[in-house]
Amino acid sequence: MKSLLLAETMKIAKQSKTYYALGAIFLIELLILITAYYQGSTILDLLLDNLKQSFYFEGTLLNGNLIMYIVLNSLWFNVPLILMIVTSGILTDEYKDGTLQTVMLQAVKKWKFMLAKYIIAVCFTLFVIVFMMISTCVLAYSIFGKGDLVVYLNTLNFFESYDAFRRICLAFVSGAIAMVFYCIVSITLAVFIKEAAKTWIASALFLVITNLLLKVDFGLKVVNNYFFPKLIDTWQQLFYYETDWLHILANNMVLILYSFALTIWGIVVFHKKDIG
Amino acid sequence: MLIGNNLSKTYPSKKALEDVSIQIAAGQICGLLGRNGAGKTTLFKILCGLIKPDKGKVIINSKQPKPVGGIIERPGLYNYLNAHDNLKIFAGIQGVATDRDAIHQHLLKVGLPLDRKDPVRNFSMGMKQRLGIAIALLNDPECLVLDEPFSGLDPIGVASLITLIQRLATEENIAILLSSHLMGELSRCCHYLYVIDDGRIVNAGTAVQLINDHISSFSITAKNISSSSTLEKYQTIQGINEVKVVCNAKEIPFLLKELLKEGIEVTACTPDLTLEELIKSNR
Repeated sequence: MKSLLLAETMKIAKQSKTYYALGAIFLIELLILITAYYQGSTILDLLLDNLKQSFYFEGTLLNGNLIMYIVLNSLWFNVPLILMIVTSGILTDEYKDGTLQTVMLQAVKKWKFMLAKYIIAVCFTLFVIVFMMISTCVLAYSIFGKGDLVVYLNTLNFFESYDAFRRICLAFVSGAIAMVFYCIVSITLAVFIKEAAKTWIASALFLVITNLLLKVDFGLKVVNNYFFPKLIDTWQQLFYYETDWLHILANNMVLILYSFALTIWGIVVFHKKDIG
Repeated sequence: MLIGNNLSKTYPSKKALEDVSIQIAAGQICGLLGRNGAGKTTLFKILCGLIKPDKGKVIINSKQPKPVGGIIERPGLYNYLNAHDNLKIFAGIQGVATDRDAIHQHLLKVGLPLDRKDPVRNFSMGMKQRLGIAIALLNDPECLVLDEPFSGLDPIGVASLITLIQRLATEENIAILLSSHLMGELSRCCHYLYVIDDGRIVNAGTAVQLINDHISSFSITAKNISSSSTLEKYQTIQGINEVKVVCNAKEIPFLLKELLKEGIEVTACTPDLTLEELIKSNR
């Protein structure tokens, strides 16, 4: 297993698309920073003009914490889409280049090979989120400094600077779990679909449908609480002033269970399938 | 030894194989001839364990962790990696030594240069085939299965690959199965030939026997062959630089002798055995 993981790491490290993905995510961050730098104060002043007359805010509201929160919002669509494209390619490229056949002609167990793919995809996803968090953190705090965070979720939610940073860190952790779920979905789709372009379309569709279903009321409490589309916004629940910590923990655990179930399903299907 | 017994496979769109039996002994080179879509690749995939047959059995007398090595359709390589890294990956995943010397040995075995550090996407088809064979030979399989190994190769590449295949069979006692839709290449290097059509083995025998039994014409190249009176007794088709003479293999020594008597210097005499003839003759 160790040798399979090493081989997968070598493959992902030597492919240019890995660096394109990192570059794309960094570009999104830069665009957010540049927009915030030139237009952020004007927008915030317009939004909070009345509030500023009644409340005292420590530091400027256009600060590193707000930038981090805005960057976190790319976990809705941009980042998962990029991750799903890259991680599904871990398998679809092997189908396209015929390397999957070559691997299967070696003394390698099918289920171990597939498990290594899932593990590496998860590691890559976590690496991307850590990269995103550290790079945003360094840029946002060095350019905009610290300060209180104001977030509009149904109503305005205020967090002091130190609490805001703590919640942002936890949101990255929760967001990483959602991203891992998406990446596992994309690899499982690749097991069924095999072709890169079709898998990308299916992944994008899955992402859109999941985001749509998030807003749908299914009428049943269990479905509303534990159906996977209802769990992908868990990271955002950390920015409600009255935070239900237990609910957030439960949501993340259920999403992890979904990820395990999908992984097992993908491995079983791959193991049973003919390679040809 | 690699044996396939009564193998059948049906895809949703068509029947790919029907009751196919095949066997290759250690050190023997077997050829599988067939048109595109005849079932060659399906049979190879079954023999390599990539797909399961609906009926029949594959028997491999081997205690090796990897009994069969092969290339199916084309060498599947990581095009963004160089030859060294490709071998390192495929060796590493099955616990074969990946140190520099071991990888160099694998490269040298198939006649690949050690100084090429560029990605394999820059390699010629012949070099990719060689690298594919080096990967197939990792972990010392006792059988080697090569699907269309000559496709995309120039004549020098074909000759060089045939030499390599013959060396592997002779020196390492590997049972080798090759497929092609081209008669010429397989008849040059195989001990035994199977002919497959519509998913069924329609002809089989030693290469020499099949050629002798089914040849109906020869192409003769000579300087002044159009003036030959001997050829008037035969049915001929005049080409630009050669004449196609309709006759069987037994008549050839006599024909060549007569041409020589006439003062015609024959520089080449090639049997024109086509796949169609091998298929037709058993219908």
